[in-house]
Amino acid sequence: MSGRVVVTGAGVICSIGAGVEEFERNLYGGCCGIGPSPLLGDGAIAAEVRNFNPQPWLGNKGIRVLDSSARLLSVAAHMALTATGLQQQEGEGDPDLGLVCGTMFGSVHSITSFDWSGVTDGPNYVNPGEFPNTVINSPAGQAAIKHKLRGVNSTISAGLVSGLYAIHYASEFLRFGRATALLAGGVEELCEESYISFGKVGVISANGRPRPFASDRDGATLGEGSALWMLETAESAEARGAKALLEISGFGAAHDASDINAYRVRGEGATSAIMQALSAAGIGPDEIGCVVAGASGSRAGDEMETHALRNVFGARLERIPVCAPKAAFGEAMGASGALCALTAGLALSRRSLAPTTGFQSSDAGLRLSTEAQDVDGDYALVNCFGCDGNNAALVLKGLN
Amino acid sequence: MTPIGAGRDLFWRNLTAGANGIGPVESFDTAAFPVHIGAEVKNFDPSGYIRGRSPDALGRGSQLAVAAARMALEDSGIDVTKIDRSRAGVSMGTTSGEPGMVERYNDARKAGGLQSVPADILPKYPCNVIPSNIAIEFNLRGPCLIIPTACAAGNYAIGYGFDMIRSGRTDLMLAGGADSFSRITYMGFARLGAIAPERCQPFDKNRKGMVPGEGAAVLVLEPLEAAQARGATIYAEVLGYGVSCDSHHMTAAHPQGDGAIRAMAMALKESGRTTADVDYISAHGTGTPTNDRVEAIAVRTLFGERAPKVPMSSIKSMIGHTMGAASAIEAVACSLAIHTGIIPPTMNFEAPDEGSELDYVPNKARRTDPRIVLNNAYAFGGNNASLCLARVQ
Repeated sequence: MSGRVVVTGAGVICSIGAGVEEFERNLYGGCCGIGPSPLLGDGAIAAEVRNFNPQPWLGNKGIRVLDSSARLLSVAAHMALTATGLQQQEGEGDPDLGLVCGTMFGSVHSITSFDWSGVTDGPNYVNPGEFPNTVINSPAGQAAIKHKLRGVNSTISAGLVSGLYAIHYASEFLRFGRATALLAGGVEELCEESYISFGKVGVISANGRPRPFASDRDGATLGEGSALWMLETAESAEARGAKALLEISGFGAAHDASDINAYRVRGEGATSAIMQALSAAGIGPDEIGCVVAGASGSRAGDEMETHALRNVFGARLERIPVCAPKAAFGEAMGASGALCALTAGLALSRRSLAPTTGFQSSDAGLRLSTEAQDVDGDYALVNCFGCDGNNAALVLKGLN
Repeated sequence: MTPIGAGRDLFWRNLTAGANGIGPVESFDTAAFPVHIGAEVKNFDPSGYIRGRSPDALGRGSQLAVAAARMALEDSGIDVTKIDRSRAGVSMGTTSGEPGMVERYNDARKAGGLQSVPADILPKYPCNVIPSNIAIEFNLRGPCLIIPTACAAGNYAIGYGFDMIRSGRTDLMLAGGADSFSRITYMGFARLGAIAPERCQPFDKNRKGMVPGEGAAVLVLEPLEAAQARGATIYAEVLGYGVSCDSHHMTAAHPQGDGAIRAMAMALKESGRTTADVDYISAHGTGTPTNDRVEAIAVRTLFGERAPKVPMSSIKSMIGHTMGAASAIEAVACSLAIHTGIIPPTMNFEAPDEGSELDYVPNKARRTDPRIVLNNAYAFGGNNASLCLARVQ
């Protein structure tokens, strides 16, 4: 086996679109998914999936018991399975088809509601039917039942970088021959608990306009959604005649926290993660054609990313097109890595990097633009850095 | 860190003596519940394990995990100041992460409304704080994640650690699982009617359920050659693992044990072994009527006529169901069984279930000198994971 892992399709649902086509159209059209959040209420601003109804993709059967994460994930899974012709029909389902899902806060809303019911009504009055939704792997388990996914079913959590870790984890599984095709990416639902969590530590933009890398940025805006790739071994994709769109070339990860809530601004871990990803891909920094940044508008986080990019690319940095798509779909937490990876995949396929919506100016010395930028090169770098010391980077190769 | 003791020696001495770690729940009032027993880690003082930070800054799941990690590193004899930290990582598993933070959030909300909730509670909830706290404690700079695949999580985490070593990405992995005793978990299992009223009796004809517990276990994984070169005590070798999803029901196992069979078969295949090679099975064996029946069916189906000849015990009879820590603690037990030649018993076993008569190592540890063992773990979400461990030849 060559050990090559390729992307053969995708599914996505987030504030700027449902399905790859709509996501792509809105991303390149400079749309922004951020606005007042009916779900959070009370004047909160977020990148919410408005009027979300999973029925067109999932039908009505068994939907009522699913929490929002399980619905978002199941919809993205449906899209990716359909796009690749791997949806399981009647019968038991392929035991070599599985799902690897990244998440940060996971089932926090379901578990908090379940406990709240016990606190207010007493433990004998909680609804046992809601207990399964409290486990963190519930969305992945529910999606497996919905879509007959009988292979590995893993949930991965590494905070804000969970989505990239899930892609790496699935790639390793395929390389070790434990599966032939895996859905991999992330999911996160907006909810009161994660909003309060970020709000309490003061990292949410006061006016609800995240301005990644801008000198006047004042924080992130939370988002939600799910993005999944279908990953296959190159051999298995070829054998079944599936077109390989991208290759997972390299992954790097480094932890550098001294506290669970602080960025290491000089970017030691972030730099190391990028260097490892390049090394795993067998390329040097000069071969990177574009960068999809993890920048969310966080004061410290964006500064750290700038340092890391400068450490890796040096003077060439100002010539490399960079996009910070969280300006459009917000900080979608456990789904962010997968949404950014999808953005990078589109850039390689189109040879054009999506604009950074609302971008005005930056003193970071990065080539950001409100227009799409040409991509010169076969490789893209995806960054994902968390405030808990988790840093991850992914290198992708275009195969057109 | 287990309900029958902290540290390798005490745990193993108690486990092979058939000690009982189950008793009345002390960490919260169970007056409003129909059941009252649990398996808690008693008299735990985290300040002996967490240095340079206040232990209060960590949730209980993280405290237990850091304690286990410190003991594991000390036992390994590895000096972390002398290794390449960027090639040392952490891979943990959990069911609920830090559910205590949700409990504190709700208690504060009930007492004084949302405004009264302290700022530092929810940021400590996301379950990856557990491996992050280990990485911070020992300043490890490699990959760092948690695999929250519920009650099979420990095996998943050890499996990922194994993969990282095998692919050459890291030189050292701290891998295991951790979960803290939680009223939420207790409430859920109580409402499902799954908690036993008095004791845990896996595979017994009259078993009445599982007993929620807490704990943490961490294994130090490194390449075999590296361990041999530095003259380390090698407890066991990881040969391989297998995972699968029932894709059947969120809480109920597949009635024919479909996923459980596939996970065991995949683990053996990856290990280059067959059922004929297996000397001991560490069962998931929670003590609920359905789970134990399905596990017996799965073993019987895969092992065929040899099934009754393979000793299979459940240590949950002594330490309860420690959730995401369970299969990590059981992996420690498997490693020590390989190392010492003794297999731990299934306690509280009186009579076999009709149709499920296997060798459950009833009530007394046994010297059998196992060389190759399978460690089974099953979970909500239909997740199954089996780990194959062996004596180094």
